[in-house]
Amino acid sequence: MENRSPSLREKVKQLRRTFVDKLPGTLAEAHRLCELLVRVPADDSTLDDLYRTFHSIKGTAASFGLLEISAEGAGGEQLVLQLQGLEGGARGQQLSALLPGFQQRLERLEELWKLARQADEGTGGAEAPSFDLGKDGGKDGAKAASKKVFLCDDDEAQAEILAAQLSCFGYGVTIFTNPDSMRAALLVAPPDAVIMDIVFPGGVNGTDVVANLHREMRAPPPVVFVSSRRDFEPRLRAVQAGGEAYFPKPVKAIELVEILDSLTLGQEPEPFRVLVVDDEPEVAAYHSFILEQVGMTTRLLHEPASILDVLAQFKPDLVLMDMYMPTCTGRDLSRLIRQVPEFISLPIVFLSSETNKVKQVSALRVGAEGFLTKPIQPEDLISAVAIRAERMRTLRSLMVRDSLTGLFNHTFMSQFLETALASAQRDTGKLCFVMIDVDHFKQVNDTYGHPAGDQVLVALARLLQQRLRNSDMVGRYGGEEFAVILQDIGTDEARRIVDDLRADFAKVRFTAGDGDFSCTFSAGIAGYPGKAQADLLRESADQALYVAKKSGRNQVQVAP
Amino acid sequence: MKILVVDDDALAGEMTAAVLEEAGHGIVLAENAIEAMEKLNDEAGIALIVSDMNMPMVSGIDLFRDLREQGVDIPFILLTGDAPGPLKATEPRLDDCLTKDFSLETALIQSINTVMARRAG
Repeated sequence: MENRSPSLREKVKQLRRTFVDKLPGTLAEAHRLCELLVRVPADDSTLDDLYRTFHSIKGTAASFGLLEISAEGAGGEQLVLQLQGLEGGARGQQLSALLPGFQQRLERLEELWKLARQADEGTGGAEAPSFDLGKDGGKDGAKAASKKVFLCDDDEAQAEILAAQLSCFGYGVTIFTNPDSMRAALLVAPPDAVIMDIVFPGGVNGTDVVANLHREMRAPPPVVFVSSRRDFEPRLRAVQAGGEAYFPKPVKAIELVEILDSLTLGQEPEPFRVLVVDDEPEVAAYHSFILEQVGMTTRLLHEPASILDVLAQFKPDLVLMDMYMPTCTGRDLSRLIRQVPEFISLPIVFLSSETNKVKQVSALRVGAEGFLTKPIQPEDLISAVAIRAERMRTLRSLMVRDSLTGLFNHTFMSQFLETALASAQRDTGKLCFVMIDVDHFKQVNDTYGHPAGDQVLVALARLLQQRLRNSDMVGRYGGEEFAVILQDIGTDEARRIVDDLRADFAKVRFTAGDGDFSCTFSAGIAGYPGKAQADLLRESADQALYVAKKSGRNQVQVAP
Repeated sequence: MKILVVDDDALAGEMTAAVLEEAGHGIVLAENAIEAMEKLNDEAGIALIVSDMNMPMVSGIDLFRDLREQGVDIPFILLTGDAPGPLKATEPRLDDCLTKDFSLETALIQSINTVMARRAG
């Protein structure tokens, strides 16, 4: 170690950084394997994969001198060894005993990863800006490092358009026009994700290429398929090849980004929230235990009378309900829930020892999503709950989000303004409503074409989202008009924040055809308590925006 | 000297390669035992194999045994995440077996020198 020459030291540092960068992905994989094992304890290949994952953490971390990480990897390896040689049933039991241990190891590894990353950043870890914003002044942690994506499509022109759009979202895209060259590059340095076309010239099939990669590599990067075919067969093959998602062409960049974000963040999406309603505490505890083992958040309710309060407070993605309880039946309770407009689409799943089909059907008629018969196998419970909760989330996001930018839509923003205003009246006392409008947007569309215009809207959406706080709501009001609700902020500060955004947005360079161009926006701000009603806030902000436009655009005005 | 490095973990393989390249060796990389066999057929003049132990499907030690069975007698150094003692005991024909850790860099170069000197003598 003493004799390391600079070049080797550099190289080792680079490799070490790569290892650290990849660790979250590795840990996510370990999490996934653990969950898989809980569902199918007898699967030896899952166990082998899990063993190898920990083993490789142990070995590689040791090579880089990350001794604590290596030790945790070794600990995980030991846990897996305790499962080897056991038959399915015994293994399942041993697994539930060891699961907290696995959890602990993985959590500790995550902590160690954070430390290692900080150490790397201290020594000048390179971080690429997501798109050219000039020298940023972004909020803490709002900036994402650039992620590497391989895009494999024989239609180069189309690939370039998509790559340009994705780069606005902070993805560094490398384009390959044939699968072989992508495979070669991928084996050398795997990207964070792959976008793969399905039909290639010469009868080469993208799904086969990916299926092969899955055989060749231990931890292949996640793959998203895109194809001009919309029918069943290629979709099925994409799933069988291990694809994470499938998009028919033309692909909307924002939808792709949403998937890429979730695949590459290295962090689990927010856990599903499940409310378990059962008058028998032990039964409820058992079911909630099974669901929590795979990372869901649960709340137990033994007393149906408080269900509406708990629903409003806990905001579950799904309710798991016993069919027969002393005070009321599940059937009545779900009917009661359905009478509250807010919960009309909340999935409810019944659990019962009822095997009588007629009674099951009558329960389904009042709007239950499903019916599970006790005693239920843990894996059936998990999949029944996960599938429905997932679907609920997707539906909900489709209902409240704008399809181009992924921002909240007009309806949601109007609702949220009411809620935010009420809470400002109650607690903080301050709130600002901002209307933003892209200047001369029609000219952009006319001169550079609609794809270029869309790029502008998407970039502005992204900028607003990245730079504002989580508590600030950003929506697309329609066309080139955006709305922002800034909570707990007065008009002076709001003007400063929005003006910074305005200055930065004007620096963004967009490319279209051979040339490039930039855009500006105008904004109008109105604040509570000056304006005390939602309608008034909206109107005043709109008027302020009008003044900004009249006074020459590219500026921010506050309503008097 | 041309060395074949076999490791399914690309990062670990590159790490080993970096150390060996630094010592002036030429490196051929393989990600698994099958690829290693192919590389041995395709590339002339490979004088040493450095392989990871724990790989999917065919482990490092199985690769070693296959090679010896086929009469390939190229010196073979096995790298493992565990203590090397037991492996050396079960397969005494191994030229050497080393633990992967931060000292690998010096240990590997030393081991190569010893192995090559022994073979030459």
